[in-house]
Amino acid sequence: MTGGWDGGAVALLRLDRDGTVVDANRTVLRWTSRTRSATVGRVRLEQLLTPGGRIYWETHLAPILHAQGRVEEVALALATPGGRLPVLLTAVVGPGPDDTPGVEVALVVGAERSRYEREIDAARRAAEASAQRLRALHRTSTALAGAFRVSGVADALLLAASRELGAGAAVVRVLDEAGTPLERSTGDAASVAALTALLTTPAAAGPAQPHGPGGPVVVALPGRERTEGVLAVAPSAAAGADPLDVDVLEAVGRAAGTALERARLLDENVSVAHRLQLAMLATREPVDPRMRLATLYRPGVASLEVGGDWYDAFRVDEDRLALAVGDVVGRGLEAATAMGRLRSAVRAVAGPGARPAEVLDRADRFVTATGAGMLSTMAYAEVDLVTGRLRYAVAAHPPPLLLDAAGDVHHLWDGRSTPLGLRPADGVRGEAEARLAPGSTLLLYTDGLVERRDRPLSDGLDALAALAPRLRTALEGGRAGGLGGGLAALVSAALPDPGAERDDVCVVALARPGRGAPGA
Amino acid sequence: MDVLRRNNVTRAGRRDGPPLVLVHGFGCDQAMWRFVTPAFTGTHDVVLLDLVGAGGSDAGAYDPVRHAALEGYAQDLVEVLEALGTGPAVLVGHSVSAMVVCLVAAARPDLVERLVLVCPSPRYVDDEGYRGGFTRAEIDDLLTTMDDNYLGWSRFIAPVIVGRPDRPELGEELTASFCRADPAIARRFARVTFLSDSRADLARVRTPALVVQSREDAIAPPEVGRYVHEHLAGSRLVVLDTVGHTPNLSAPAQLVEAMRAWVGAA
Repeated sequence: MTGGWDGGAVALLRLDRDGTVVDANRTVLRWTSRTRSATVGRVRLEQLLTPGGRIYWETHLAPILHAQGRVEEVALALATPGGRLPVLLTAVVGPGPDDTPGVEVALVVGAERSRYEREIDAARRAAEASAQRLRALHRTSTALAGAFRVSGVADALLLAASRELGAGAAVVRVLDEAGTPLERSTGDAASVAALTALLTTPAAAGPAQPHGPGGPVVVALPGRERTEGVLAVAPSAAAGADPLDVDVLEAVGRAAGTALERARLLDENVSVAHRLQLAMLATREPVDPRMRLATLYRPGVASLEVGGDWYDAFRVDEDRLALAVGDVVGRGLEAATAMGRLRSAVRAVAGPGARPAEVLDRADRFVTATGAGMLSTMAYAEVDLVTGRLRYAVAAHPPPLLLDAAGDVHHLWDGRSTPLGLRPADGVRGEAEARLAPGSTLLLYTDGLVERRDRPLSDGLDALAALAPRLRTALEGGRAGGLGGGLAALVSAALPDPGAERDDVCVVALARPGRGAPGA
Repeated sequence: MDVLRRNNVTRAGRRDGPPLVLVHGFGCDQAMWRFVTPAFTGTHDVVLLDLVGAGGSDAGAYDPVRHAALEGYAQDLVEVLEALGTGPAVLVGHSVSAMVVCLVAAARPDLVERLVLVCPSPRYVDDEGYRGGFTRAEIDDLLTTMDDNYLGWSRFIAPVIVGRPDRPELGEELTASFCRADPAIARRFARVTFLSDSRADLARVRTPALVVQSREDAIAPPEVGRYVHEHLAGSRLVVLDTVGHTPNLSAPAQLVEAMRAWVGAA
């Protein structure tokens, strides 16, 4: 290249097909401090660029040049003895003077544009980062709020740490409902061990502590009353992973602390309610050679509806036995105490002079007077052990089930009336009669046995009816466990998978031995 | 999620032919294979795709955690292969995607018939006893270069190229989108590409592989190609007489010949 162009403000190059420099003006040589002989025919364009520019050229610009014949206004930098020299590059494919194919390249100094683009880029990245933070925080908080029990919150926190917060490993240590330390972790063993060691440092109870730039972070999980736990997070080792965001981790720590506190208090309440309920249900059951009796209580799992289910079985007189099953509205301790009062009241008001409908009437008055067990449901039945006469009354409760000697199943839909505390419009509670013939079984139960959110009640009743004949098999087989074992197996079969969310269940079964059957 | 739409999967050739899946590398998209594809449409079921964030892929499917490692891209590819249901395919990966297809072959050998690795590198940054060709500072310089071209990365092609009288053979639509990428994702993909270390994964590959490299390549130097060949049991090495990191554009005829000889031997 010659003439006035040689040495001006524009650096000009000509390349052959391979990218080798076949001509260069003096501006190129001056900017790069190179001699013509060391440049022309000796280097390719990318070798004049900084390493980053070289990669960018090879992976992005050269393909475009191939496909489109030109690239324009690309911000690159020449590698010079004095450092990076920012330039703007335009390159066009075109035949050279002797018609050989090649590329013409022009470079001008371009520091201004680079600065401008970088400012835009910095602003854009700040905006993107804050949007991403908000997303991560929102998703994490939602996951924490939906978790059951202290262990569930801890698991949700670990999952969010690796899915949303970019952790390669994480360890969380909390106190569970019983005050026992509970530790959960995710990640490889070496990282987990390193993080666990950080948990014991005194600083672990304070605000988020980054351990060196790009290193792990320890975050406290504060509740309102106390620190609920501590979380240690190590950044992901993946090549494209972001460093941990201490601000986000601190916010997550606060959300987790609140969630843990809520779970712990609720769990405490639930667990006390369960214990109380069990203690109150554990009265001595009547024994009589003319019948077999089995009762069962299964506490709910991961459900708020706990504490209010009850059953009872007691003698009304020498030959009559009373069975009752009920469900007190409400949850936790409140429901458990109301249940205990109502159960005692039913025992007190039942007696030789009172028929089942009257027992419900009297229970009604107790509920109205005390408020305990308002709108509860219950089923009450009396069986004559000599004749098998069965009289029952049902206050808005699931129907008792009768499994007859032939193996047929009947839902006892008669004798129904309104829940306790809500007197029937005509003031009279219904009552009905049936017969518990030798070889048949009566089953009273609470709705947890048949009700599930994912199916209508009628399906639950059908499913129970299909399972009920197992009780007979258990009785006839005379196997160890007898009626009690059969009842436990029946309940297990009727309930959803273990661990799935469900309510409390109470069941009472009374069987009259068939003729010739082994005695009690 | 429709994984075929996510990765902008396109198919050409014979549906009853053996499947041939071409995966582009960093800096470009499926248009990278435009000079290679025609040689196989008569015999193969040719599948092209864009990595998430590149070309016509769904950038909304980008997950900063999943895609922080090459394994995330390999998972995407496994999902595409499963969705296609073609049976074991020949996987062709260019540049960083040579390692992506290796990860797929290691994890799911049932999906892969053979591998073709075009200009592969299992690690770009030098390490003790290993020369990848770059230092960490040089990779940071790439990130700076990309930041300086933020606007250009996404759109500088389009307004200039449409209707160029000097290159009438190029269709407008294609040129308007060639090598376009979401700049934020491209920047992150640059880190994943150039800071990953996949050397240990080579030993897990049992699928027969063809390693193709250029005589001179500033991104994946000859010794790196040799390293890959030596660490892939039963692989074959072919050196093309061309210069640069993109022989699929600069020397398509040579690349096609090498690939034909390899898949023909299947």
